[in-house]
Amino acid sequence: MTTTAPADDITGDMVEPATVKRGRPGRMLIGLGVGIAVLLVGLAVPYVVTDTYRMSLLLDATILSMLALGIGFMARHLGMISLGHGAFFGTAAYAVGVAITNWGWSPLNAVIFAILLGSALALVMGVLVVRASGFGFLMLTLALSQALYQLSVQISAREWTGAYDGKLITYEPDMTFLGLTQADLINPGLFWPFAWSALVVSGIVLWVVGRSKFGTTLEGIRENEERMRFSGYNTFLPRLIAFVLSGSVASLGGALFAMNAGYISPQILGFTQAGDSLIAALIGGFGIILGPVIGTFLFVYAQANFNFGGNLHLLTGLLLIVVLVFMPGGITGTLQKVYRRIRGKDRQVSDERGRSGRDIASDRADASELRAENEQ
Amino acid sequence: MNAAQVLNGLALGSLLMVLSSGLAMIYGLRGVANFAHGALYMSGAYIAYSVSDRMGFGLAIIVVPLALAVIGVVLELAFFRPLQHRSHIELGLITFGLALIAERLVILIWGEKTLRVRPPEFLQGTSTIFGVEYPSYRLAIIVIALVMAAALILWLRLSNVGLHIRAASQDIETAAIMGINVDKVSLIVVSLGSALAGLAGTLAAPYIALDPGMGNAFLITVLIVVVVGGIGSIAGAMIAGMGLGLIQTLSTVWSPSFAVLVPYLALTIVLLWRPTGLAGKRIS
Amino acid sequence: MSIFEGRGLTVKYGAVVALDNIDISLEPGLVHGVIGPNGAGKSTFIDALSGRKRPSSGKVLLDGSDITRRSARWRRTKGVSRSFQRTSVFGSMTVGEQLEMVARKNDEPDLEGIMKTLGLDEIRDRVCSEIAYGTQRSVDLAIALIGQPRVVLLDEPCAGLVADESVRMLDHVRTVCKERNVAALLVEHDVEGVFRTCDVITVLDLGKLLATGDPASVRADENVIRAYLGSAA
Repeated sequence: MTTTAPADDITGDMVEPATVKRGRPGRMLIGLGVGIAVLLVGLAVPYVVTDTYRMSLLLDATILSMLALGIGFMARHLGMISLGHGAFFGTAAYAVGVAITNWGWSPLNAVIFAILLGSALALVMGVLVVRASGFGFLMLTLALSQALYQLSVQISAREWTGAYDGKLITYEPDMTFLGLTQADLINPGLFWPFAWSALVVSGIVLWVVGRSKFGTTLEGIRENEERMRFSGYNTFLPRLIAFVLSGSVASLGGALFAMNAGYISPQILGFTQAGDSLIAALIGGFGIILGPVIGTFLFVYAQANFNFGGNLHLLTGLLLIVVLVFMPGGITGTLQKVYRRIRGKDRQVSDERGRSGRDIASDRADASELRAENEQ
Repeated sequence: MNAAQVLNGLALGSLLMVLSSGLAMIYGLRGVANFAHGALYMSGAYIAYSVSDRMGFGLAIIVVPLALAVIGVVLELAFFRPLQHRSHIELGLITFGLALIAERLVILIWGEKTLRVRPPEFLQGTSTIFGVEYPSYRLAIIVIALVMAAALILWLRLSNVGLHIRAASQDIETAAIMGINVDKVSLIVVSLGSALAGLAGTLAAPYIALDPGMGNAFLITVLIVVVVGGIGSIAGAMIAGMGLGLIQTLSTVWSPSFAVLVPYLALTIVLLWRPTGLAGKRIS
Repeated sequence: MSIFEGRGLTVKYGAVVALDNIDISLEPGLVHGVIGPNGAGKSTFIDALSGRKRPSSGKVLLDGSDITRRSARWRRTKGVSRSFQRTSVFGSMTVGEQLEMVARKNDEPDLEGIMKTLGLDEIRDRVCSEIAYGTQRSVDLAIALIGQPRVVLLDEPCAGLVADESVRMLDHVRTVCKERNVAALLVEHDVEGVFRTCDVITVLDLGKLLATGDPASVRADENVIRAYLGSAA
């Protein structure tokens, strides 16, 4: 199974701002410092937001952000757009439910099991899908996650997933999860520290991985998979590892989702959930690691406030089109561009020279392509 | 397994064939998996409901594909053409947005409850075929779909426009340099693909119940059909569509819960065994 | 003594025979040119040798052992590398980043030397998609040269270059080949450039081997003159 890098593979403007400059340990430290500061500041949120409903929205957004973060990682570093990460999120959620309700496991063990199961699923699915690129990858991830959805709603799966009824998680009466009782778990303020820490730590891990040598390898594969192979690189394994890593982050989100919600709707594995997360990530933008998170927070906010008469999808559809047509880097990408324009006025001359070089390059590439075409 | 079950399989396969050939055509030419194809099919079914309510089903089967062809023209002129230099994935995600909008519009216009369309009088009964009594309307679906498929293939093979479409699907840039009017070809293909989705929607309307989720439910199957058939291959999509319809229906007899998984299994098996699909360019 | 050989290489696309039973043998320190008119099968030839296209029949040998079924990646780690006709670089990365990335995989003691020879040391911090096309061709060549490959297959390194850029590119190729004792295969459109640069020349036409030998004998070969040079020179 070979995959040369077709035009499809590179998502162009959607990931262009992702070019990161590596090899500066100072920046890495600054980034880590910022991450830890964000973590600590975020922990104070429940003391500031006292309204339970608002707090629960923030918590939902935080948990869903982990799904978007996973999708964003694949898009940002490999240019691969996944509609299948909902499968890992959902599988982990069901795994928590089954382990606690059916097997009577302790919640902590259930969460660990769920993350491992979600990651294992990512491994199996990854073997099947990461060789594909562009639409192939998009459709394969969609198809396999939908297969899982179909499985989950089968009557024969009722004992495990509750089929169309969903799965209610029932606990042993005296159980606790990291010190939280059952009543504490559904209290958004008390659950917040776990969700927030999980999100920030996941974000930092993905950020560090993206800036490592492994991240460079991924970028090389994104830019030119064939040349990587002809340069002696295995291009399958890094893609698989990235897929599993991003799937693990989504699984972590799913496990926390189940712990907090106590109930799993079958829609968690559905097409709509996968689509919503992808849209949120796209609107936020893949250019920086925060993009999908910001997108998810906006999406959850919009869902709560602008869902007049069920028209949310009408609006998100419109917004998605507007973003893709007019601001392909998403919100964060557009902000970055604006920032660069303001800051980089004096560098314009050199930029323009660069750009003309690029135009000539593409013209010439076209010319030589034609020649190649003629030759065959 | 009896003849009626095989015929049911053929009827489902026929719908998949019509729908996926349109998707495959657009995919082959523009390189974009049109996620709005399910929405086009659904819109076709709903428009068919309104048209046949007022003017009869016979007219609907002509009017709806024409109406959808017009929508296709709009799609091409508003999105595919101006954005053709964007990455294909971006364009695909835009059609995803269009599908979301269309789905909601259908609910706003026709409501959320399930609707039914009656087939024309003369097709409401049953006919005897291969020794079984079988609903005449489903036979009509099979006949219309097969005639359409044959006509489409012949047109692509024999006509001048068909030649241009095949050339442009091979390599759109080279085709343009050889003097083929790619914009015109693309306009024809996208509007024809949409019209086929409309035809499939119309044919499906009396056969299945209409609900706003019908587009998405079918879209995934049709995308699978196109990948299995080999991306961009119209004949491949037709064969895969018919084959999948048959296998899925017949396996329902054996085990309904297995049948639901058939498309996904088919996809996985085909891609492991033949990564480019049954008859196709590479997946990209 | 040849280190890299193609024996009886045949590639068929359906009923079309793009490459018909071609033999070739490369020796360290020699530049072996392959020329031929459009449709001669030059690109197919280099693809078959480099593992991008599996030949329908025939063998590719490295140090006498059969590597026909080995992957591109395996070949690269064993010292067989190639460049691409359509510039194949890593657009979003800087010149330095991508050369270092390739050097990490293929031990290269003198990356600076390669960059200097090809004039890339001064633009190491420029993003590759934003440098001039001729320079991108040099980056492409540099990627192929990293890690002291013993065999380098170059697919039209001068495609799309203007005349003086072409001359410089071919000079680089010859210099590197001699300095590093590399066995180089140079597929090129530019016939005069090949005659100037190469030690051995093979001429293909319509997938068939027309002639092979030193430049003088190939230039004098009647078949070559009739089929190819006759129209050009």
